[in-house]
Amino acid sequence: MTERTKGTKSKTAPPQQAAPRQNMNQNEIKELIEFLVEKDIAEFELERGEIKLRVKRGYAVVQAPQAAPAAYAPAPAAVAAAPSAKAEAAPVVESGVEWIKSPIVGSYYEASSPGAEPFVKKGDKVAKGQVLCIVEAMKLMNEIESEFAGEVVEILASNGQPVEYGQPLFKIRVH
Amino acid sequence: MSKEQEIAAAAPTAETLAPLIAGTIFEGKVRHFVTLGSTSAAAMQAGGDGAEAGTVWIAEEQSAGKGRAGHTWQSDPRDGLYCSVLLRPKLSPADVIITSLAAGLAVVEAVHEATGLWGDLRWPNDVLLGNKKFCGILTELNAEVTRVRYAVIGMGINVNQPKFPPELREIATSLRIEAGKAFSRVAVAAALLNALDGEMKALEAGVERARERILRRFEERSSYCRNAPVWVEEDGGYEGITRGLDARGFLQVETAKGMRTVLSGGVRKR
Repeated sequence: MTERTKGTKSKTAPPQQAAPRQNMNQNEIKELIEFLVEKDIAEFELERGEIKLRVKRGYAVVQAPQAAPAAYAPAPAAVAAAPSAKAEAAPVVESGVEWIKSPIVGSYYEASSPGAEPFVKKGDKVAKGQVLCIVEAMKLMNEIESEFAGEVVEILASNGQPVEYGQPLFKIRVH
Repeated sequence: MSKEQEIAAAAPTAETLAPLIAGTIFEGKVRHFVTLGSTSAAAMQAGGDGAEAGTVWIAEEQSAGKGRAGHTWQSDPRDGLYCSVLLRPKLSPADVIITSLAAGLAVVEAVHEATGLWGDLRWPNDVLLGNKKFCGILTELNAEVTRVRYAVIGMGINVNQPKFPPELREIATSLRIEAGKAFSRVAVAAALLNALDGEMKALEAGVERARERILRRFEERSSYCRNAPVWVEEDGGYEGITRGLDARGFLQVETAKGMRTVLSGGVRKR
């Protein structure tokens, strides 16, 4: 458990929700729940603008290594919470924009080594397959490539920052 | 040349390794070089160009060996084993990170088989003898969000270095220094490739079961995993006491401010 998600109860938003936006769409709620499951957080409350979201998960297994897979199906309480939030939230749909997400939990690096030039900067044009950053976990360096050709309109992580599985790292305006 | 010198001088080539790695995913796929910039850089390049899973790069000497965070790795000609393997595991990126720990275990078990020495794992996968490092591992991944295209595990093992320069003497060692005799790099390489083959086959046969086994064995082979006072080189650096691995293999460290999860930083004993 990282410092940002202390204990099994948390009243703060997880890191990927750091952007000061008022609305959440269904995908974001789904991701949030996946994050909570992955981090083994049992209870979670979020109030933001019109949205009030409460997630409570329950499972009987306490055997450590098996707990994570057993908990992968979100508990009914979480599923029930989602539709009500969805009803109040206007989904944010932006056409022509794609997000590059982290495939693993790890540390985000903007360059191949400390002090080197960042792989990309805001406003850069990128090609499909171009390396955008590295996410490192357990000395495993994962080069994240752009799945799209386009322009980097936003970089959502900062150098050295811990990132979660599925956390958006780049916003790309697709050409 | 004495018998021992002859054994130590034999190079781990496609020919010398062939009879020893039959039946593994690496059979018939060893590429041996006298000098190479970096075995991992070559393997990553070839991975992108479509090289076959199980291809192995071994170099007698690396002119640009690489470590984490831009660290270099000193590669003495013919004394060490510098080896990178290309894998295309049918695992998700989230599942494949455990291979980082599995590779360390493979080194520990291979070194034991070839030399009788038991290395100590320093999370995530440095291997030490007498608190000095003799093996470094760096894994590189090329992946989409849900699919691994290819992964390269690069391993540098100090086998027969007789000594190290003063600036490394306190932190680096070799199997020869620890045992007082030289070893066959062919035997170490063969044991390593066999051990890696076992780890990868187990992971692909069932990742949950394999991961549990890896975590249990890692804790057995690491004095760093539990109750060790450590300094963590991550997030500006902090200190704490290690409290084992979580279900994914991340090191847990108890600090004054609560339990923390080490994602990528190295740890040092205090």
